[in-house]
Formats: sequence, structure tokens, C-alpha cells
Amino acid sequence: MAHCERAAKPLLQCLQKSYPRALPTLQVQSTRAFQTTAFAREEAQAEPKSQPFHKAPDPALVSSPRLERRLIRQGVSPIGSRRRRAALQSSPNVPFEQLPYQCFQEARKVLLADREEKLKEIVSMREKIARLQAVPTEEAGGEQVKKSRLVAMELHLERLKILADINDPLVKKKFEDGQGDMSKPIYRYLADRKWREYRRKILVQRITQMKVIPDVLPHCDPVVDTKLYFGRSPVQPGEFVNSRVSTSAPKLDVQLFDRGEKLVTIAVVDSDVPNVEKDGFDYRMHYLAVNVPISAVSTKVDLSKLSSDSQVVLPWLPPVAQKGSPYHRLSVFIMEQKDSKPLDFAAVKAKETTRDNKLLRTLQARYHLKAIGAHLFRTEWDSTMAEVMKENGYAEVDMELRRKRVEPLPYKRRNPSTFR
Amino acid sequence: MLQQRLLAPLRVLERAIVPSLRSSQPISRPPPPSILSRTNTSAPTPFLNRLLPFSQVRHASHATQGTANRHSRDPAGKRLGAKRTTGEYVVPGCIIFRQRGTKWFPGENCALGRDHTIYATEAGYVRYYLDPERHPDRKYIGVCFEKDGKLPTPRNAPTKRKLNRVAVPRIDDAPTPIAGQSDLVATIDNGTMVSSVEAVNAESGSQLRPGYMYREANWQIGRAAEKAGITAKAYNPKNRWLAWRKRQARAERAAQMKSLKNKKKASKKGKGGR
Repeated sequence: MAHCERAAKPLLQCLQKSYPRALPTLQVQSTRAFQTTAFAREEAQAEPKSQPFHKAPDPALVSSPRLERRLIRQGVSPIGSRRRRAALQSSPNVPFEQLPYQCFQEARKVLLADREEKLKEIVSMREKIARLQAVPTEEAGGEQVKKSRLVAMELHLERLKILADINDPLVKKKFEDGQGDMSKPIYRYLADRKWREYRRKILVQRITQMKVIPDVLPHCDPVVDTKLYFGRSPVQPGEFVNSRVSTSAPKLDVQLFDRGEKLVTIAVVDSDVPNVEKDGFDYRMHYLAVNVPISAVSTKVDLSKLSSDSQVVLPWLPPVAQKGSPYHRLSVFIMEQKDSKPLDFAAVKAKETTRDNKLLRTLQARYHLKAIGAHLFRTEWDSTMAEVMKENGYAEVDMELRRKRVEPLPYKRRNPSTFR
Repeated sequence: MLQQRLLAPLRVLERAIVPSLRSSQPISRPPPPSILSRTNTSAPTPFLNRLLPFSQVRHASHATQGTANRHSRDPAGKRLGAKRTTGEYVVPGCIIFRQRGTKWFPGENCALGRDHTIYATEAGYVRYYLDPERHPDRKYIGVCFEKDGKLPTPRNAPTKRKLNRVAVPRIDDAPTPIAGQSDLVATIDNGTMVSSVEAVNAESGSQLRPGYMYREANWQIGRAAEKAGITAKAYNPKNRWLAWRKRQARAERAAQMKSLKNKKKASKKGKGGR
């Protein structure tokens, strides 16, 4: 096999070279496919041989792992799957409109007609909405009726916008390449669907199985995709994080799938602080920031870089776990502020001064917050924990928790004298 | 049994009746030879054959309808069921319910054992309850911390937990230096370490070993390279060149061995042929 491959290699290379690696200059006509090759060959000969492919690999075409690695080291990530890139290397890369397949072109026509229809519907729905808004409330049948009708029409409009683009293969390709523009509803819709397929399920499972949901908040329905990074390394929901790593505040990537900007409150809560006197557990607020703007296009939130005089109420406190204590759950909650209105920072800062035993439930009720995103990581005693605890002034570093001995029940005779 | 019991009275009866029977028999008809031959073995049979024509013999080949298979059909009780009732105090590990399959499910602060036994994981008071929010038909057994507490707790309430730990001064688990390092050292099950004096200061060369040998201890022989300052190159799994050379050498040696083997065989064959 290897021999025939080796033998066929020059021939294959010859054949592949007949197609240019980059497409944009190619002007192909579907009816004259034979001429195109000749044309392309001339062009390939004409263009100067600047660099071989292995010296300057193209991220859209590279398929060997070594070249991919080199590209990644340079900071360029390869586009799409390796299989697709390998296929593209030998494909003539003719645009869809010029592909010489009759059935395919007929099918495209059907899709294009459908899109035209949807665009017309969008225009008419916009007109309808404008008309309804112009109608005075009394004629429309009351405040409630008018409002509900408007909301329903808006929803239908959004749906139409998605339906207009959902069958477009170029949209699908762009989304899969990670080049989707999140300001457009179709890409937001696709991203949301992808998130809900797997990552959201994992997140919900972790926060319910580890009992974050009844312990920290009574209920949470995540609608924003939250990723957590310590430094540059991402943290999966529920992962154990080394104490030295978590001394600096994490970075968040909060992907909103709705239109517009939202102001959110970000809180990090430890719900497993051991309390020996009470023989139970306390809460501790490790971070609290209010009025953080997020939108579908601006997703990055660096918790250490938020402004300390208008956003950060409680700065980052490194999470610790005393030796012998069960693992600590550090839950990150993204809470939407009511009507996206900013909270009064000075008042919040004056009120929320203590970290210990600050319940997220009370904050939620006090400031009318709604949890829209969550994340979770865990911490436990490790080799660097003692230093971290000393640096941050935790007094319990010298103490260790040991299991309390449970007194066994007194022996009870199974057949006492009354039975005999 | 039946035959034996019946035989005695029948014999008496026969003795009384037989003479008259004989007289009543017609003389012209001779007695069958078979009867004569039988009479000397057992006298009453000819009469009995006439009197009880359908009597059956029952041998011990069939089991009687008694207690023969009772043990397989009616095994001993397995002592299943509730071991602790509602409100009883239990400690961790205390068995609350023994069952086959999950008639009851473990609720709060309880766990399910290998044979579906439900046992407590916290000290508290036993509760038997239904939790329709969690499952519509399952019955649960739980342990609650307060004597008059109620189960189930609402689904969105924070879980009640106990720390069950005490704070003691921290002990660093750094590796402690080993007291006697030798192959003559043994630890007895109560924790005392037994090692001969020679073994402890074994650095000083050869000594009397088991089997009456004067030599260094095994662990010292193992450290000879370290003492001589010989260092091996660290194994690098990414060094494919070295790996290739090793593989090649192994293959060569294998080929050599194979060829030798074949030669031997060939020579043997040759001998056999002659």
C-alpha cells in the first residue's frame, strides 16, 4: 500500500496543483468545467513560487497534526474539522451558485424562494406591529390585550428572522467555523442550541447533584453560557482547583443569547465553611460585584479588572479549605438586575460589608435579582493550602478537623426476661 | 406390613376350614402339581390367593406423603423487616430495615447496603415517609436530626447537615524517617519493629546473613550503583531514535535466535534422516 502511495504521489500532486489553493480569484462557469482547469494551471504557473505549504500553512487547509500544532503555537487556530480541511485541499472549491449539479441548483432555488417569502413576512409583521403601536389603547381593547398582542407579535418576528436564515449553508458553515456574528439573531440561536445540547446539561447536572441549587439558591434556570478561567486554563463545572491557582480572581466568559445589554450582579459563594461550635456549615461570600454590563458581543468579564469604585463590592478572597474539612463548593452566580437598571453602588457597598454568613437568598430578595447563569468549582486541602491560608490571614490554619467518635448504642438484649 | 398382620388370623381360619374343603373336593379331580410344590414352601398361599385376589405389595421405592421434602419447600425465615421504628434513635451504620429488593428507599441521611439493607449515615431519629415531589410511589426511610422534626424537607430548602468533626492541632503528614532499614527488619502485628543490631548499622560492610553467609544486605547491593556515583540517563519516552534502535536490536537478536533454532532443528532432522 505504502509503495503504491509513494508511486502515485507525484501524479496526485500534479493533479492537485491544477486547482489553486486559494479560491477568490477563480472565476468558474459551470458549463465550461474543462477550461477552468487549464485556466487555473496557467495562473498557477504565472504566480511566483513564494513559499512551500509547509513553511506557511493555511489555517483553512492544513490537515497534518504537526503543521496544525505549529499554527496553534503561532496563535492561529485551524478552521473547521481536520476532515473538512483535508477534503478542501483537493476540492476545486467552486462556489455553490456555480456547481454543475442540476438537482442541487433546483433545491437551492426552493430554499431561496422560501427565504424571500420569509423576508416579505418579516416586513409585513413589522408594519403590523407599527400599526398596532399607533392604535390608541382604548381601541385596541385595553392595556393588557394590546401588550400581550405586541409581545406575541414580537416573538413571531424573532422566529421569522431565524427561519429566514436557518437553511442557509453559508450561515451553517460560518457558525461551525466560529466566525458567527453574535449580533445577528440566527447565530445567537445556533449558539444557544449548541450550548443546550451538551454544556448546559452538564452544568445543570453538576449544580443539582452537588446540591448547590437548594443550598445556595432555591432555584436557577441557566440561560447564559458561563465559562470560568483561572489564568488561561478553563475550569469545568465542579472541578477541583488548586489553592495556589485560585488565589487570583478568575475570568468569566458570559455568553448572552438575547438581544441587548444586561446589567448583572456576579457573586461567588462558599457554602461549606465548617463551624465547629455550631456543628454545621456556614456561608462565606468570596466575591460580589454589581452593575457588570454584558451583552451577546461583549462576553469577557475579568473579575480582577472590574472597577473597584463603581462595581466591586467585595473583592476576591482566595477560597480555602481547612485540613480535614469536606470539600468546599465555590459557586459562581450571574444574577440579572431588575429591568437592567443599575443598583446604587454606594448604598450596596455600605450595606454589604461582611463576608461571613452572607446568604445569596437574602441578596436576591433585597435587590430583586434573578439568577440567569451559574458555574461551580471545588477546593479541598492540598499541599499549597497552608501557605495560602497563612498569606490571607485565616486563623484556622493551625487546626485540623478530625472525625468525632460516635458513641455506639448500648447493647440491648434481644430476648429479655419478659420474653422468656 | 398389612400382609404380616393379616396372615396370623388367616392361618387359624385355614386350619379350621381346610379338612372340610378337602372332603368337599371331587376326588376325580387331582390336585394340581403346582399346589403340592407350593405347599411345602408356604402353606396358606393357595387359600389366600382365593380369598384376597387383589392384595398389592407396596415397596419403599415411592416416598410417602410425609415430611420428606419439607425443608426445601419451607426454608428458615430470613429475619427481614424493620429493625428500628419511627422515632427511634440511631447512630451511623445502624441498620433500620432489612429487605429483599427495594421495598423501601433510602431517604435523607440514609444509605442502601449491598443487599438493599437501609442503614443510617447520621445520628438521629428514624422517619418513614412518602416524598411525592421526588417520586410518586416510592416509600422512603430517613433520619432526621431533631426528635420532633419532619421529613421530607421541601425541595428548595437548604439541606441540613452536620459537621461531626472536632478541631485538633494540625499534624503535618511529612514522611517520617525509617528507623531500621534492612531486609532483616520485620514488624509484628502489635506495631513493634524487630530488627537485629547488625542490620541497623549495616552500612559497615558484610555481615552474617541468613543461611550462614557473610555478605552485604540485599538493599545495600541494590544501592551499589548509587554509591559508585553511576547515573543512568533518564528515560525519555519521546526519544523515538533510541526507541527505534532498541527495537531494531531486539528484532536482530530475535532473528539470530530463530536462525539458531532452525539450524538445530535442521541438524536433528538430518540425523534422523540418516
